[in-house]
Amino acid sequence: MSRLLLIASALLFLAIFLVMPLLAVFVQALAKGFGAYFAAIAEPMALSSVKLTLLVAAIAVPLNLVFGVAASWAIAKFDFRGKSWLITLIDLPFAVSPVIAGMIFILVFGAHGWLGGFLKSQHWHVIFALPGIVLATLFVTFPFIARELLPVMQAQGKDDEETALSLGANGWQTFWRVTLPNIRWGLLYGVLLCNARAMGEFGAVSVVSGHIRGLTNTMPLHVEILYNEYNYSAAFAVASLLALLALLTLAGKSFLEWRQPELRRAARMPQDRTRRTNS
Amino acid sequence: MSISLRGVTKRFGEYAAVENIDLDVPTGALMALLGPSGCGKTTLLRIIAGLETPDEGTVYFDGEDATLWPIGDRKVGFVFQHYALFRHMTVFENVAFGLKVKRRRERPSAADIRKKVQELLSLVQLAWAGDRYPAQLSGGQRQRVALARAMAVDPQVLLLDEPFGALDAQVRHELRRWLRRLHDELHFTSIIVTHDQQEAIEVADTVVVLNHGRIEQAGIAGEIYDLPTSAFVHRFLGQVNELPVIWRDGRAYLGPIDISSSDMPAPGAEKQVALIRPHEIEIGSRSSGWPATVVAVRVIGPIVRLDLCADGQPIHEPLEAEISRERFEAERFDLGQKVGLRFRRWQVYPAAA
Repeated sequence: MSRLLLIASALLFLAIFLVMPLLAVFVQALAKGFGAYFAAIAEPMALSSVKLTLLVAAIAVPLNLVFGVAASWAIAKFDFRGKSWLITLIDLPFAVSPVIAGMIFILVFGAHGWLGGFLKSQHWHVIFALPGIVLATLFVTFPFIARELLPVMQAQGKDDEETALSLGANGWQTFWRVTLPNIRWGLLYGVLLCNARAMGEFGAVSVVSGHIRGLTNTMPLHVEILYNEYNYSAAFAVASLLALLALLTLAGKSFLEWRQPELRRAARMPQDRTRRTNS
Repeated sequence: MSISLRGVTKRFGEYAAVENIDLDVPTGALMALLGPSGCGKTTLLRIIAGLETPDEGTVYFDGEDATLWPIGDRKVGFVFQHYALFRHMTVFENVAFGLKVKRRRERPSAADIRKKVQELLSLVQLAWAGDRYPAQLSGGQRQRVALARAMAVDPQVLLLDEPFGALDAQVRHELRRWLRRLHDELHFTSIIVTHDQQEAIEVADTVVVLNHGRIEQAGIAGEIYDLPTSAFVHRFLGQVNELPVIWRDGRAYLGPIDISSSDMPAPGAEKQVALIRPHEIEIGSRSSGWPATVVAVRVIGPIVRLDLCADGQPIHEPLEAEISRERFEAERFDLGQKVGLRFRRWQVYPAAA
């Protein structure tokens, strides 16, 4: 009985806080019919925001992929001074409010920032331009892949890599033929989450973007502008694209978990994961 | 290939995992590094493999200084306790790995690789398993794949880190005998790390006992059990009974038994302890030897283990004796029976050691 009650209350909670809003997004988006919906999406400003969002993700995700693999590789397979410090540092973006992250970049790269004068003399635009948006997105999505890979790599240890080396493989062969196949599902999972966040990031990007329509507006920023202009159906039309992305990410995540039991276990039992990390 | 270590030391922070080790492994030898966990045996093996670099000292391969050679250049095959098979590759691909990663000039043709892998799989009695994945094999089979994979690159040295530690007793025993036969056929130099004294003695020619990062004793496998030079080795290599040596009027006693002899070390200030193995205790009639009571009898296949409470000894520390099944059937010692004990052999050490 109490079990039923628990499940029911959880479902009720999910229905009110997740399913209903999600439905509301789509209902609102289609409130004025399909014609208005597609018009809102095909509108040049909306299209440019979609392009910018895709571009930012296309730059930020691969960079964080390389960083995440390198960092978790270093942490899991080598012992060095300051290792625990590096792990803490990776988690920093989780702990810092995205708005503060954006402010940091303004402080460093802005017109009155530390590097502002130099950047201006070189005619390089960082703040209120694509580089700033990419930097802010990189910062915010920085931990996703590394955090996903770290427990996988630590659980696997170094035996496989050492075996490969003892069999005459060089470092590159060892990485491509042994390490990467061992972590591929965890990596894909991390990329998926990283991508979802990169496309959805609002706070940090909002601070550095400058909200220049058609130039520095990403999808979430565009949604906000439309909403503030009382253009609800257009706002929700663009928002529905982001919601769709979220649903696709969830579907992909479930697929990976179904495909890879180890990830499923890790996802279901975080306390087990930390235990494996410590051992 | 012969291997020599001179003054090898490796520290992890303040802690010296191995300290000032000198060791010679002649070509074709099968040596066991034996010791309790944390004694440095695995670190030593990893230094020989090139997986760790010693802080001090030199590693020689055939007389050449190999201390800084990368593992790929050492011609060593390394086998891990947990197999370390590449789980996304089939058994065939696992064994072929070392051949496929060779530089193009040295790489055998696909047909040669196939032939060699098949030969190796037959050698480890797994010719049928080429298409299987590691997850589909038993532990013993996986370890044989790991061995075949290590041998694919024609190593001159085979290094095994607790290779049978994760297997059950039956499979362990079979694989030990099989490894010994393989070694005798193929004549590479092998070093096996183990914490199991029986395994070391069963499989190796020479046994090196390590403790706290130092070599306690090295000797021929069959002899080290009988001739331990320290109480640590004596205890580590098998069951022992420990009795304090009591000196009275210039003579040494174990209980009422006079064990004085001319080569017996003088008592001095420190206490002494005698170590006696269970099979070195002789059980006779009450009238002869140290009076004792049988408090437990356990028949274990061909041997029978008896717990004996000797008069004047604390009741919770009975002596353990082992006799043959035949002897037991003939004499029939019962629980509570009064007997007399004698010791066939014993060895006296300072009690602190």
